[in-house]
Amino acid sequence: MHLYTLTNSNNNFRMIIMKPMKFLKLPALLAFMLLLTGCGSSLVLENVDYSQPLESVLSPDSDGVVHDQRYAIQFNITPLLEYEGTDSVEEIRLIRNTPGFYFVTADGFSNVYIFSPGEGELSLHEEVELPDGPISEPAFNQRTTHIELIYQSSGQTYNLDQNGIR
Amino acid sequence: MNAPIKKIYITTTILLLAFLQTALVAQQSDYQIQQNFSAELSELTQRIDTTQSPGELAKLEIELDELRSRYAEHEELINAALYPETYQKRMNETEEQLSVALDNASVIDQLNSRITSLVGEIDAYRSQITDLNENTQALREQLQRAESNEERQAALLTQYRQSLEERNSFVSGFLQNLMSRYQNVDLGTQQEIAEAAERLDDNPIEILKSIILDYINIVDESTSLETPDYVAMRAQHEYFSEVWNSIGSNLVNTFSPENSSETKTEIDELMAAWVLSVDNQLWESLNDTFSQNGIDLEVFTTPDEFYDAIYNYVDNGHVTSLERNSEEDFAVYQNFSTFWNETVKAEWGDMLIEGEILSQSQISEIDIKLNDWEEASKPTSNLMFILLIVSVAVIVGLIVLLITKKN
Repeated sequence: MHLYTLTNSNNNFRMIIMKPMKFLKLPALLAFMLLLTGCGSSLVLENVDYSQPLESVLSPDSDGVVHDQRYAIQFNITPLLEYEGTDSVEEIRLIRNTPGFYFVTADGFSNVYIFSPGEGELSLHEEVELPDGPISEPAFNQRTTHIELIYQSSGQTYNLDQNGIR
Repeated sequence: MNAPIKKIYITTTILLLAFLQTALVAQQSDYQIQQNFSAELSELTQRIDTTQSPGELAKLEIELDELRSRYAEHEELINAALYPETYQKRMNETEEQLSVALDNASVIDQLNSRITSLVGEIDAYRSQITDLNENTQALREQLQRAESNEERQAALLTQYRQSLEERNSFVSGFLQNLMSRYQNVDLGTQQEIAEAAERLDDNPIEILKSIILDYINIVDESTSLETPDYVAMRAQHEYFSEVWNSIGSNLVNTFSPENSSETKTEIDELMAAWVLSVDNQLWESLNDTFSQNGIDLEVFTTPDEFYDAIYNYVDNGHVTSLERNSEEDFAVYQNFSTFWNETVKAEWGDMLIEGEILSQSQISEIDIKLNDWEEASKPTSNLMFILLIVSVAVIVGLIVLLITKKN
């Protein structure tokens, strides 16, 4: 569509410049190039699948940093622990769904936190408070349409997406 | 319970079971599934590594099949977790490892059987050689006690010789057995047998040592033996030596791998001591025997000197016969020829060659020289000379008669 518009404009422009003002040919060409560059910046690849097939189980180091080498992400969980109101966890469980949101929780957490990735940051997109209280032995499974949260101790399951419990 | 209620009950039960099964499946953590798979496979591979029994490995094979069937439905999930490896690759690697372990176990099993068989054979050998030694020892003692009774001593000596021959034959059989087993054994098999043989209390090397020591003992302690006995002993030594040269290195590498060089040297030294013991008796006994038969040879203490002594004796006889051509020389020739052909060659010939006391070519050279001696020693006949004189006399007589008649 953009290209189409650009092509028509270019034809009109050429008709204008061909006869009286040949000396304006070079600036016109430059303007055309600029227009083309502007069109390239709006390129969008769709239907991207960000989903991790398996959750990552990550242990924070002494500074609270977790590093997932397989899926190449590293962040500090200290603010999250403060937000959750706990001092420490042995490991956190992390999974990314198809649209690209990160789901984070840990044993003893009362919530599942859903983050959206930004430029050098993860922003809390949704905080899901679970009805059964603190989560015992949680695990995430990637499913076709959602993320499955299971309580391994009880077998209780919840289906989640980036907006919360489905 | 009436039919509709029963139908509702069954339907409810089926639905409940289906729900429970769904719940059961749903509550599995994918992460845990792949973790369990990796842990179980790792534990299984470790057990394969440490198991040597074919029976135990067969059980592990069943466990591996069970593991495969249990996790086959999670292959995609496990592939995602293991990337860039795959479930199939891991399973195939483990199957290959198991296959190699089964092959190795089979080899070890065969070796164990071989060692068990070897232990049995060694025990049997020990038992039999002990019986033979006891028999020989008893006969030797009886011989010593029967010195005053010549008839009985002769009978015992015959038995004693038979006992030694039986022992030689048994040892030769044992050596032949060793030859067939260890002459062409490759390095890998040597190492495998060596590992298994660590469990042996006794082994062929120790048996060889004791055989040699027994031989030395027999030579040193026997006083009633004669030249053929010592010649036979030297032949037995040479056969033993031949076998040892052929399989000695393989045997020490197999049964004494940690100090193979020292063990080989030890056996080599025992072999040298054995032949020295035999030679100490042999040369003296040979000289006595020749002397008792009217043949006085030069002193000899080695095979080459022995050959030289015989050759020189024949050569000297030949030279003397050429010079004198006397009846007496011919008698000397006949005496030697008879002893040489009927006793030395006919009775001891094979053992002299086997014992490397005389070679076939040396015997031939002596035979050729003996033929020359025979030619030279035969007394020349005067009959032809007498006939010639008679003929001349007759001719002269006839001529005289003819002339006389004419006149």
